[in-house]
Amino acid sequence: MYGRTGRNLRVNLTENDFTIEESPAKFEEFFLGGRGLGVKVLSDEIEPGIDPLSIDNKIIFVSGPLVGTGAITGASCNVVTKSALSGTIACAKLRGHFGAELKFAGFDMIIVEGKADSPVILSIMDDKINIQPALEYWGRTASETEETFKKSLGDKWAGRETYLVSIGPAGEKLLPLANIINDGFLSVGGAGIGAVMGSKNLKAIAVKGNHTVTVADGNRFVQVVTTLINKLNSAPLTSQSMSSWGSAFFVDLCHQKGILPFKNFQGSHFAEIRGVGAGTMPGAFELRSRGCFACPIACIKKTDVSNPLFKGKGMAPTYLAAGALGYNCGITDMTIIGMANMLCAEMGLDPIAAGGTVATAMELVEKGIVSKDDLKLDLRFGHGDDLLQALTLMATKKGHAKRIGQGAKALTDEYREPKVFMGVRGIPLAPFDPRAIQGMGLHFATSNYGPHHLYAYTFIEEILNVHENLDPWTIEGKPELVKRYQDMTAVMDSLGLCNWPLMGLKFNNFVPMVNSCLGTGYKAEDLLAIGERIWNIERSFNLKTGLDPKYDVLPERFTKEPILDGPAEGQVSRVDEMLPEYYSLRGWNDEGRPDPDKLKDLGLGG
Amino acid sequence: MARIKIDHTKCTGCRHCEIACSLNHVAGAANPRRARIRVFREGHTYFPTIAGPFVDAACTSKNELVVGDHTYNMCLVCRASCPEKPFFIEAETGFPLKCDFCGIPPSPSCVRWCNSGALELIED
Ligand code: SF4
Ligand code: SF4
Repeated sequence: MYGRTGRNLRVNLTENDFTIEESPAKFEEFFLGGRGLGVKVLSDEIEPGIDPLSIDNKIIFVSGPLVGTGAITGASCNVVTKSALSGTIACAKLRGHFGAELKFAGFDMIIVEGKADSPVILSIMDDKINIQPALEYWGRTASETEETFKKSLGDKWAGRETYLVSIGPAGEKLLPLANIINDGFLSVGGAGIGAVMGSKNLKAIAVKGNHTVTVADGNRFVQVVTTLINKLNSAPLTSQSMSSWGSAFFVDLCHQKGILPFKNFQGSHFAEIRGVGAGTMPGAFELRSRGCFACPIACIKKTDVSNPLFKGKGMAPTYLAAGALGYNCGITDMTIIGMANMLCAEMGLDPIAAGGTVATAMELVEKGIVSKDDLKLDLRFGHGDDLLQALTLMATKKGHAKRIGQGAKALTDEYREPKVFMGVRGIPLAPFDPRAIQGMGLHFATSNYGPHHLYAYTFIEEILNVHENLDPWTIEGKPELVKRYQDMTAVMDSLGLCNWPLMGLKFNNFVPMVNSCLGTGYKAEDLLAIGERIWNIERSFNLKTGLDPKYDVLPERFTKEPILDGPAEGQVSRVDEMLPEYYSLRGWNDEGRPDPDKLKDLGLGG
Repeated sequence: MARIKIDHTKCTGCRHCEIACSLNHVAGAANPRRARIRVFREGHTYFPTIAGPFVDAACTSKNELVVGDHTYNMCLVCRASCPEKPFFIEAETGFPLKCDFCGIPPSPSCVRWCNSGALELIED
């Protein structure tokens, strides 16, 4: 058993008990591990139709087989459950060190079932597994939880080797917008998961361990990894841009290409955005690089944020934070954006979902559909104070912010203004205007995880032109590109790798690393076929939850209203034209349902 | 003599050095606790520390280390494995681990995989 530990931990919180299971080898052959394995187990074990916040839902933490081996960026732990935000499948990616430590603690996967009577923390510390009461942790922010837990160990050195994933107050209050946090990082794509953890009264999971992860061909593996590190170093995007600024360097780029959304994707007012982007960060923050486990890129930027609420330091804004919490709310002040981002990380709010909700509320107010008195909150585009106040109140479910805390979709439904909701299947759009980047628009409409860019980062080819020189405004070849990136990302997630190395390396470059690590003989096509299988099992699960493929659409604003000004002036999304080709490439029928024969081909039949 | 220069201001806390070391001493075994270099976090700073001598008693007086405007406990950068800081001991055998400049010369394996410039091989 290479790369994997071969053991899973199944925890039943209702029974206050756990069992250690061997992981089924066949699943791994079929789904690799990580996201693929998590999705397989979830779809086998829960009824798709259940209420995500009910006791029947399960939440799965699973580290892919490359995590903890030293494979470059092999750090990602996936968290799979039925989402409280969309009601479909959710799969978050935890960065940092939790995923690797889970492996060193001796497990590939933790399956959490049932519901504890009162708040608990699950701790796996050097083979001692404990479901311990955590009443005193309830209400605490993520960093407080981490600090308090480590202090409670009574040994500083043990604290330094312990890693936690937790929920903040937002998750405890069952906010559908709630995300989970580990190591100070908000997870990627975790909207809708924090509440599930909260519904189980599970405040946190702590891991620390002494197990060895075994690599098949150690000598070859070390050689391959060394080569890949050198390759990343000769690629300008990974060695310079990402290493210096993190994803914040996309801000300027997206602004130049007309992709950066402004004021809830109303997308005009182009001239108003000035002095944006990575260039303004050194003035606003003191930056320091931080890397996930085994990551040579180190794209995460730590910084001082002078927020009296949270003394100390936090993360500098990423592109995602800058776009969703900043520009899309009409806010360009980097200091405010930094504080909002930190608030999210402490409270456990998802920045895309929360930012999207605030932006929606701001538009409703601007249009006079909702009055200030109605919300008992000031929500004006461009006002940083309004944003910070809304986020705080939302997370703690105080005052009238309770209402917006249910999310943008619920809010626009309440006021019967569904057209103001800029999202797909209940999830607000990641901050990329799909009118100016057609491939990503198609991905947003069809993604199993809602309109999130990091489940198919076609940006790499459409804007950055790393491996292919594609025009973001054309639709030729885009369905194929989207399918390929969706499948590829499913593979990377399932192995436990980050997406960013794809900005310097080709997918093929990873294959020798995978094979020397796992002792397999995969070719790139074999891996992509597994990715396709994973995409289809996710799609099938979503269809069973009641998802109707006719919701593979973007909000009307993107298909009917052209961008008003700026470099992408006049563009609209042509997602309808791309869909039929996308369905046919996927082997799905005209309605977007996988053909039974196709599923059989993928080994999913019967 | 060749030495490894450590610049903690550049360290990103990625711990790739730990795994490099582990894999180079036992082929195919990835385990930070088998590494002869460990990266300790204090607040938001990381201190890569390379295993030195094994001692069976802790210092009787504590030293402090001032870097910029922060004061750190000197144990963070101390290379000794001692009862105060029980690292660099192989769990199965209790055998003390010490840096042996492993890997393919000239660069020790940790230096090779450290991509931030925090570890550097120098001659003096
Ligand atoms: S060369 Fe020395 S310091 Fe570097 S990893 Fe090997 S044993 Fe550790
Ligand atoms: S590899 Fe370098 S940057 Fe990463 S933890 Fe080790 S010393 Fe720090």
